[in-house]
Amino acid sequence: MIDVAFIGLSIGAILLLVSLGLAITYGSMGVINMAHGEMVMLGAYTNVLLGIWLNVGFLAAIPVAFMATALVGFVIERLVVRRLYGRLLDTMLATWGIAILLQEAVRLDLGLSLVGINIEGLGKGLQKVAAPDWLAGVVTIAGVQINAYRGFIILLTAVLTTATWILLYRTPLGIQVRAIMRNPKMAAACGINVERVNALTFAYGSGLAGIAGVMMSGFMTVSPEMGAPVVVDGFLVVVTGGLGSLLGTVWSAGILGEINGFVSSVTTDVVARAAVFAVLILIIVFRPNGLFSFRAR
Amino acid sequence: MALKRGHLDLIIYGAFVAVILVAPLWLDDFWVNRLSKYLVYGMLGIAISLSWGYAGILNLGQGLFFGAGAYMLAMSLKLASPTSLQSSDTPVPDFMLWNSEPGAVANLCCINRVSFLWIPFQHQWFGLIAGVALPSLIAGLLGTVLFRRRLAGAFVSIITLAFVLMIRLLVIEEQPLTNGFNGLTDLALLTIGNFQFDPYDRATYYLVAVSLSLALIGARLLVGTRAGLILQGIRDDQARARCLGFNVPAFQTLFFSVSAAIAGLAGMLYVVVAQFASPTFLDISFSITMVIWAAVGGRSSLLGACIGAIVINMIEATASETAALLDLWKVIIGLIFVLAVLFLPRGIAGLAGSVSDRLFAMWSRGRGQAELPSGAAQPAE
Amino acid sequence: MSAAVATKDLTVQFPGLTAVDQVSLSVETGELRVLLGANGAGKTTLMDLISGKTKSTAGRVLVGGVDVTNWEEHRIARIGVGRKFQIPSVFRELTVQENLTIASCKSVSLVSNLGFGLSHRQQRRIDEVLDLTALTGVRDRIASDLSHGEMQWLELGLVIAQNPKVLLLDEPTAGMTQSETRKTAEIIKSLRGRYTILVVEHDMAFIREIAEQITVMHLGRVLAEGDIAAVESNEEVRAAYLGSKGIH
Repeated sequence: MIDVAFIGLSIGAILLLVSLGLAITYGSMGVINMAHGEMVMLGAYTNVLLGIWLNVGFLAAIPVAFMATALVGFVIERLVVRRLYGRLLDTMLATWGIAILLQEAVRLDLGLSLVGINIEGLGKGLQKVAAPDWLAGVVTIAGVQINAYRGFIILLTAVLTTATWILLYRTPLGIQVRAIMRNPKMAAACGINVERVNALTFAYGSGLAGIAGVMMSGFMTVSPEMGAPVVVDGFLVVVTGGLGSLLGTVWSAGILGEINGFVSSVTTDVVARAAVFAVLILIIVFRPNGLFSFRAR
Repeated sequence: MALKRGHLDLIIYGAFVAVILVAPLWLDDFWVNRLSKYLVYGMLGIAISLSWGYAGILNLGQGLFFGAGAYMLAMSLKLASPTSLQSSDTPVPDFMLWNSEPGAVANLCCINRVSFLWIPFQHQWFGLIAGVALPSLIAGLLGTVLFRRRLAGAFVSIITLAFVLMIRLLVIEEQPLTNGFNGLTDLALLTIGNFQFDPYDRATYYLVAVSLSLALIGARLLVGTRAGLILQGIRDDQARARCLGFNVPAFQTLFFSVSAAIAGLAGMLYVVVAQFASPTFLDISFSITMVIWAAVGGRSSLLGACIGAIVINMIEATASETAALLDLWKVIIGLIFVLAVLFLPRGIAGLAGSVSDRLFAMWSRGRGQAELPSGAAQPAE
Repeated sequence: MSAAVATKDLTVQFPGLTAVDQVSLSVETGELRVLLGANGAGKTTLMDLISGKTKSTAGRVLVGGVDVTNWEEHRIARIGVGRKFQIPSVFRELTVQENLTIASCKSVSLVSNLGFGLSHRQQRRIDEVLDLTALTGVRDRIASDLSHGEMQWLELGLVIAQNPKVLLLDEPTAGMTQSETRKTAEIIKSLRGRYTILVVEHDMAFIREIAEQITVMHLGRVLAEGDIAAVESNEEVRAAYLGSKGIH
């Protein structure tokens, strides 16, 4: 039982890592970033490439992936998202278009395969990264057998969530982000540089997704298409958790991870995913403000 | 007699129908079959335009309705096919026989726990009717639940996306019912009366072309009614429509269901033309691709979305001669899509509409007519 | 004879705020009543309650004697209530003519509108409304291309074309220039008698032009009622709303 719960927790942890970035961008900018899954994919590929080209372990890949995907996110925000302020559906579509472009970029070795150059580690096929040796195997805590890699994921997620919380609630930048979440116009009127903060927010969210990608590359095959299903899961989690509520996202990721874990231990992975979708759809339909929304009116 | 804007629409629609009806005269059987596939995609363009451009409902899972329609007819055609066991009380599809438990009865009622659902499909007319009815029903149900709650447009879109993902998982999982990943293949030909619709037969092409024309004209007439105008008002400002007394969810659900019915019909026609139904119809990439056709062609223009779908697929077919070209094409269409969303919200049809408006204004002014509207009422449909 | 629109102890409580507190109001048929009060006094919320946009937590709303408390918005509209919002709410992607066509639909049911075009009578009615709101010249213009004042008049036109018995107008002159305000006053004056009108307004000059009876609200409650003179001289009103210096 405990191991099922533990697996559920680790599923929830990855879900949370992915959704955290989405929650922040959606909460503060109201933007539904359909390219978020590709940020995860890019993070995974960063790990692959660093392993192949620089023989660098995955611990080092984490900050590099963060920076790389944060940069990509920053560029996307400035070039595309910014122009679509207020047009929510169009933002979804434009970012989906960008997701397609990013996928193709990886498939085409950043365009080089068209001229016959192939970069090892990129391309259409699958890539595999081994989980690091020091995280292989099982760790026993309080008599319970815990898969070390999964444990590390949970730990890392906890650390990053805390770091995000600190950033949001204990720094001046965080206050600005929260102000924009509540009322962007008032925030601007108070002198906050909304554009700059939004760009940084978007970058940060993308960076977190990149880290999630690194973690995911350790236990699943890496392919250009791996990001697509991620974004829907992520959004359902964010919307279920409640607009603007960090705690809500944490809870809903945890709950949904557990549901997935339990259902898949009873039936199959596939049915588990379908069940989770069904639950999320029902929650959104009947409580569109999410489970933990702070909006009163 | 002054040439009015409405007349222009008539001419353009007429020209389009004429072109697609006449095209087979210059093409060989292979190309005719290919063109019929593109016409089916054109129908999907119409369905998306109706839902998105006119009703303001961005359905990111339109593949669900297309797939539902396809599977309904495919099930009937599978049962009629020689690859299904024909010698017992009921026909039994080959995949059910291969996957059955040893000792299971070779009858649709009980060869596996879900095979009984196939029983009504022994009659081809059932598959034909279900192919339009099931998508409409699903859309009606979805609509009733979603629209009554006044969910924001983006939420509706995400839910349609999640829904198609979920159904896709279930279809693939339920191997005994749907043959999972493999889909339904080796189908019989559609038979109406004594006539069989071979995919490479001109008659099949005309079946598709006429259906497309009817769907196009039907949808155009529908949006030209007062109800169609009210629907566009609802798209622009739901609250205003509500306090003018209109039952907003009813309008949205009706048009959403009509859009689903057209997509279902398209699905059935695809099965006739391509001779298979597969879970790939439920892939999100396919559903998104449909939206891309409409975005580039013109979401608020039924004909624009239709032509957009046809042309984009034609170019893609030419590009897929080589793998590299195909990838390059994907990049190009992705880029065009992003640019269209950013700068051309009305798509190419909208652009054509603005240009023709300006030309029209110049022409009328040249003829000494009164100053013309300072803005396109609607892009040339 | 029941009042055209009336509320009895109407209340709505939000978490932490009672926006409308036991408001009892009665407007006679054909009357023009002005709702006055500072921002946050509850005027718009009161209108939301009457038109059905917000559900009340206590009390009743009656339109022409019919209890419509907590009915759905579109049902209240059908029974004869028209609403004009603070921020002009029109169908932006459609032309002025198309906007008015929608508003003049004789029936609001889906099925009966599966027909084409308008009858001559309806088209003439639209022409009248265009004339009244001085929008005849821009009838083929897309609504989002109109100036702010024109959009306000279009929305007024929509409500008039709807032909309700009761008009709820929320700050019809918001954002208008002086001459636009005067024109709006004329339009509203011409509607007097034919419709029952409830107007929320701030502009005192405008109010002088059109008001008969005024209801003053403050912090969700009715503070005073009467004609202009009575309201101006009311001590409580002066203290709460007009300020000690009186009307300027």
